[in-house]
This record gives sequence, C-alpha cells and structure tokens, in this order.
Amino acid sequence: MVVTATVALLAAATASMILGAVHVPFSDIWQSLTGQAEEGPLRQIVVELRLPRTVSAIVVGAALGVAGALLQGALANPLASPDVIGVTGGAGFGAMLTLLVWPSAIALLPVGALVFGVTAAGIVFLIGWSGAHAGAIGRVILAGIAITALFSAATTSLMVAYSDRVQSAIFWIAGGLSSDGWSSLSVVWPYFSVGFVMAIFLARPLDRLALGDDVAASLGGRPRLVRLAAAAAAALLASSAAAIAGLLGFLGLVIPHLVRLAGGTASHRFVIPASALTGAALLVAADTLARVVLAPIELPVGPLMVVLGVPLFLWLLREAV
Amino acid sequence: MGPMNRLVVAVFLALLLFAAPAQAAPRVAALTPFSASTITRLGVRPVVVGQTLGGTDQYLASLKGVPVLTLTHPLGPNMEQLATYNPSIVLSSKTWQRGSAPMRRLGMKVYESDPTSVAAVGRETRAIGKLLGRTRAANSLATKIENDVRAAQQGIKRRLRVLLILGVGRTPYAMLANSWGGDVVAKAGGQLLTNGLTAPSGIVRISDEIVVQRNPDIIIAVPHGNPGAISKLAKYYASNPNWRNTKAVKNKRVYVATGNQLLQPYPGVAATIRSVRAKFLKNY
Repeated sequence: MVVTATVALLAAATASMILGAVHVPFSDIWQSLTGQAEEGPLRQIVVELRLPRTVSAIVVGAALGVAGALLQGALANPLASPDVIGVTGGAGFGAMLTLLVWPSAIALLPVGALVFGVTAAGIVFLIGWSGAHAGAIGRVILAGIAITALFSAATTSLMVAYSDRVQSAIFWIAGGLSSDGWSSLSVVWPYFSVGFVMAIFLARPLDRLALGDDVAASLGGRPRLVRLAAAAAAALLASSAAAIAGLLGFLGLVIPHLVRLAGGTASHRFVIPASALTGAALLVAADTLARVVLAPIELPVGPLMVVLGVPLFLWLLREAV
Repeated sequence: MGPMNRLVVAVFLALLLFAAPAQAAPRVAALTPFSASTITRLGVRPVVVGQTLGGTDQYLASLKGVPVLTLTHPLGPNMEQLATYNPSIVLSSKTWQRGSAPMRRLGMKVYESDPTSVAAVGRETRAIGKLLGRTRAANSLATKIENDVRAAQQGIKRRLRVLLILGVGRTPYAMLANSWGGDVVAKAGGQLLTNGLTAPSGIVRISDEIVVQRNPDIIIAVPHGNPGAISKLAKYYASNPNWRNTKAVKNKRVYVATGNQLLQPYPGVAATIRSVRAKFLKNY
C-alpha cells in the first residue's frame, strides 16, 4: 500500500509538472528545474507557477490526510474529520471576513483562515476538556458540532450581507489551489511542520488509545492528553491546509478509511504515513485535472477530488464488506 | 339644432373626453439599476427601486427620494416589503429569478431584464417600453443609445490586449466576452486576453500560465472595494509575482476600476465606453 501510494504520488507530481494550460516541452521543464533554462515565460511557468503549486498540493493533501487519521484515532469515531472540531467552520469564516468585508486586505487571507480555524478548534477544546466528563469523546464532538454551526451561520450571514461580493469567494469555498507562488506556503509552513512532527510522535500512543482508555492508562499512557494533543495537531494541519487551499474536508474524512481498507490494518504507524502519501497523491492528481480539463479555465478542485475519490472509496468499501 | 347648440354640444363632448380619467400610470418596482434608469428616462417614476450594489456612481439624481428595497433576500426583495408598495409591474433580473413566481402569485407582472451585452441595452429598452406602453419613447431612446454607442467607438487606433479581472485574489477571475464588463471593454477597443472564451456566468477563474504566455498590455481589476482602497488594491495587483513580467506591470498599466460601470449595465453605456477608452485603454 505504501509503495503503491508513493508511486501514485510520484506519477501525479510528474503529471502536475508536465501538464498545464500552456504546453511546455519536457526539455524546457527539465532545464528550468535544474537551473539551466534562460529567463523567459516558460521558465517562469515551470519554476514560479507549477513547482510551488505542486509542492503546495503535496503538503496540503498530506496534511488533510494526516489530520483525518489523527482525529479518527483520537476520537475513536469513523466520522471524525476537521469539520468535527470546528476547524473548517472557523477557517471558512476567517477567509470570508477577508474576502467579503475587507477585500483590500486580501493579502491576509491565509492568516485569517489559519487564525480563525485554530481559534474555533481552541474553543472546542476548551469546552470539551473542561467541566464534568472533561475530554470525553461525546463532549468534544458535540462541542465541535455546536461551534461549527456557529461559525457556519456567521459565514452565511456575511455572504447574505455582502451578496454582491460573493462571486470572488465561491472558489475559495469550493476548495482549490492558486498559483500564488510560495507566498501562502511561506506563511504557514511552521504550523505544518509542528503538526507533522506531532503526528509522528502520536502514532504509537494512538495505537494504545485504540485499545480503550483503561488499557491505554494501564500501559502508562495518558489518554486525555493524547486525545488533546492529536486533536491539536489535526487542528494545526487542517487550518494551515484551509489557509492555502480553502475547504477540502472530503480528504480528511475519506483518506484514512481508504488507507485502512486498502492496507488491511488500522495501526496508526501505518495509517498516518499512508494517509499522508495517499492524500497528497489524490490532491495533486485532482489539481492537475482541474487545471487541464477545460484549460485555460481552472475548475475548483473540491468537486473534482470527490469525483476521483468517491468511486475508489466505494469500490474498496464493497470489497471489504 | 342651431350652430350655437352644436357648438355647445361639441364643447361638452370635448370636455367629457378630456375629463375622462387618464390611463393610470403603471406602478413599477424597478429592482435593477438598469431598469430604474431606463423607465425614468421613459418618463415613468418607479414606486420603489432595488438597492444598488457595488456603487452608485451612475445612479440618476432624479431617482433620489424613491424608496429603496434591500436585495439580500434570496428571492430578491422581501416579499412583504415589496407588497406594501403594491406594484403592478416588477422589473427584476435573472439573479432574483427565485422571487419571480411568488411575485406573480401576488398579482404582479414580472419581467426579468438585465442586459449582459452592449447590444442588448437597446433591445431591452424597447422591451421595457412595450411593457409600459411607452413604445414610441422607448424606440427613440434605444435608437439614441445605439447611435451614441457607435459614436463612442469612433477612432479606435489600436487594440491592446486586456486582462479584465473581477474581485480580489491572486488567481485571476476573468470577465469574459459574454460578461457585461468584458463586452464594454471589447467595444471600447480592448482585445480580451481570453479571446473568444465564454462561460455561462461570463466569469471564470483562468490559469496564470495563460496570463504569462499571452502577456497583457493592460490589466483592469474590478474589485469589490471602496474607492478609498483604490491605491492599496492597485499596489496589491501590481505586486502579483506571477504578473511581474507582463507588459501591463512593466509599463505601469494595471488599473483598478471601482464603481459599478463595468459590473452593471446602464442606459448610459456610451459614456462608460468613452470613460474606459480615456481612463484605461487610452486609445483615442
């Protein structure tokens, strides 16, 4: 499974570099990437448009896959995804605030999505990990649903109040990468890094947590702390992903299931890295399709990714049953 | 009957004729700026107008004082508010299509009119005139608009390549030839970078690769912002690293068009064409 996902990712990344609205001969792509090409439009297309976009798709796809795996493991709930802890609702509100209310501050869009995504998750954690039954799964999920509803309602209100400006916000909601070079990635890479490093260290504790809180505690683990750390890492990864690519919740929900079904194991030491590879491969492939299907028009990635991923997921689900 | 009596009868009949109640002017709700402007020019004062979105730079002064309906409701106006003005005719738009059926159920005659091309302005003016029983005045106005448009297009010296974008964001949302703004720029002598590309909405997100390859002479951005933010937005668009090698950026020809002249149709389209030529294309 890991080998297949790696090969799929390499193939998708290669296609992403080769294909686009403008035909660039392979020799020019190679020379541009190896620094041998002269300054000109083709070099600019390869180095400043396609390369950062491909790298962004890899990072965002991996982040959403890992975020889903962490949340489903931490909350022991197959329906867990970044939506459940309020990240999607918060990030969406932060982005709409910039796009609709302060369009002249558009440069702050990634920051707005990141800050509000993390804030929404923070509120959920505060409610979920305080009071009676602190850290109980049901409490966290219900808090997440409530906070998501709150931010979604605020987002809808903004869209109604600024209905003449909604057009420029639709693409962000549909989810998709933009050719903005390295600027967005340069803002959020530290958060991605922290999230990925936390995920690596959480794989083993999450495996223990899968045995049940009592067993995990008897093995020396701290179930509530592990759950909080996993949810926090997922919030960082999903908010950072939303800052770059908008709302792509589908990846976080489906990729871990797809990986577990294909790999035949639920061990987080397998699911987390395999989800990263598969999520990256799927997003890069979907983004490439979005750029070339109706070129030079760019389609939103979200719906395309669903078209690609759902048949594969349903086939695996049928095979597993 | 003597001549005097005949005269008296004739005067009496004439008085009766003139004293007969004149045909009541239709009570019109004009929800779009285009329809509000058009019917005012046809001599019909709307009982209520729709809120003008995106700026009031082309709003007729004579419409001042006419009640304004907010249009953020999904059906267009709030039906209860609209009903209080008791309009017999509602000039709406495809945008508010969902509201047409409820309006008809309330006994209102609904006509959806919002031209997306310069050529449609005359056509729609005639259609509205016919609906209001002002056919002759509408024909005259439409002909004047068409003649003015032809005059505004005179003397175009060169056709520069233009990227016309809507909204804010690093990836351009291009206004195509079948959008209002795209058609106005084309009529003003701009050659749209998107060539003959069309889409149902007239606006699509296009690849930056095409922008780099086709290298626009001029970039006109139509953001949703306040006039006060023009310089900030112009700096933002010009700083887009993907566009730094375009002729538009190198020659400092990235413009920001606030107001709604490229967003919404108006009968004064000839003036808009002249303004686009003078301010942005500079092709006189």
